Amino acid sequence: MKTQTPIMNDAHPISSIPEQDLQAHERFEDELILHLERDQFVAETSRPVPRAALSPRATTGLWALRIFVVLVSLMVIYTFIDQLH
Amino acid sequence: MAVTGATDSPVVALPPLTGEDAARSSDRSRVHHARLGGKRWWLIWLLVGPGILAMLGENDGPSMIAYASDGAQYGLGFFVPFIPLLFAMAYVCQEMCMRVGAVTHRGYGELVLQRFGSVWGWFAAADLTLTNLVTLVAEFVSIRVGLAYFHLGPVVAVALGLVLVVFTFSGGRYWRWERIVLGMALFNGLFLVAAILVKPHVGAIVSSFDFSPFPGGSFNTLLLLIASTIGATVTPWMIFFQQGASADKGMTPRDINHGRYDTAVGAVLAAVFGVGALIAGAALLTHNGAGIQGFAGAGYPEALRRVAGGAAGAVFALGLVEAGAVAILTISASTAYAAAECVGVAHSFNTFPREAALFYAANFGVALIAAVVILIPGAPLLSIALNANVLATVLLPVGLVFMVMLANDKGLMGRWANKRSTNVIGISVIAFVGLCGAAYGIDAFLLTTHLIG
Repeated sequence: MKTQTPIMNDAHPISSIPEQDLQAHERFEDELILHLERDQFVAETSRPVPRAALSPRATTGLWALRIFVVLVSLMVIYTFIDQLH
Repeated sequence: MAVTGATDSPVVALPPLTGEDAARSSDRSRVHHARLGGKRWWLIWLLVGPGILAMLGENDGPSMIAYASDGAQYGLGFFVPFIPLLFAMAYVCQEMCMRVGAVTHRGYGELVLQRFGSVWGWFAAADLTLTNLVTLVAEFVSIRVGLAYFHLGPVVAVALGLVLVVFTFSGGRYWRWERIVLGMALFNGLFLVAAILVKPHVGAIVSSFDFSPFPGGSFNTLLLLIASTIGATVTPWMIFFQQGASADKGMTPRDINHGRYDTAVGAVLAAVFGVGALIAGAALLTHNGAGIQGFAGAGYPEALRRVAGGAAGAVFALGLVEAGAVAILTISASTAYAAAECVGVAHSFNTFPREAALFYAANFGVALIAAVVILIPGAPLLSIALNANVLATVLLPVGLVFMVMLANDKGLMGRWANKRSTNVIGISVIAFVGLCGAAYGIDAFLLTTHLIG
């Protein structure tokens, strides 16, 4: 999870904030909310999206591609090292 | 998790707001007011960035050396139309990245990890780290080659690269970081100036658009140049970068059209400047590439000076410095996005280093490791530069497959999911890139092990 310090949360009880400051805070808060989509907030993007269900066929295909790519990468790296000599 | 439209109504339950939210909201308020006020050009100015940076960032040192190598060995034919074709392919991939970032507000690494499982997420991050490390070495090589033209040593190259990375951190604002790098990236146009200075034959450039003559010579060398040219236009870091930067910038589905303009302008500029490097390199064709001796074959500026004069050499050298410097910033950023997203900690330039320690540490650390490598005496610099691109080409198909899967994910993307035509083009691009990378890798391996003659 993200570990940023909230600038506006329950850590500052409303009763402890003077009336004028409270109004300023609320205005600031409204401004923030107005210009961001709800799911743009750090608190929202910190929540993981649900896991997708991959079909066995898709999983097999992805593993086949992954193994193929690793093999070809090893070939490229081997060739590169050989050329150095 | 299809995303709905902008928040116009009061929110009942307020989430805790962070400094990152406040910074992003401030940027978004300007977009909001520009849109309300009908300020079209101002809105474009506010929303461009990730696309141009991804494309011009990819016109990096090894890419420009690869284009110049194409020109020096094969001339203008084939590669002049091939480079724009590759950037058209890059546009298709990058548009998907931008769209997924704008709709989900999340980076590529975290989406792959959360949606498809940690194995795939960490594989993607590992691929990226490997290719980024090799590519960053090549970026420092590029700066070193450029500065060597002005008789400045490798220590200056390393210091310049690292100081730039630290300098762009200051401010704790994505907007500031983006504008600094964007300003630097426009100097990629130096390669176009270099092309003009070598006084090319315009008729030869125009006639080369029929893809002829097809390059001759060694089949394996041709495959290497094609694979490295592909790796010079579409790479894994661009996927992580543009999606992460689009989310960090605060783009929303309403901005997707502007994101497309941004990506398209970036692709056009990158293609034009890339062809510029090719034309400049082609000035060395009649010399059969002779004279490209300095730095184990990467000494194009010096070779150009002998053939086309000091101005062409100096401009090409400055271009290499710029290309390397901008790419160090964007590629380090993509590594930082990937590392912090996969670990699940803060990953935004809208934070200060104390709030996002891993993000900034990964950003600087990967650049530092690459910087140390180039101080090793006698390193084969041209070989590193070309192979960095080839490795990126080989590893790219997996990243692109996940990108297409994310862009098709109706649960995430809702009505912004890929259309059938985008899928057809996207899958064709993946097949083409995979085929070219594998062809070179297998052919080179068989030749090296003497299994074929």
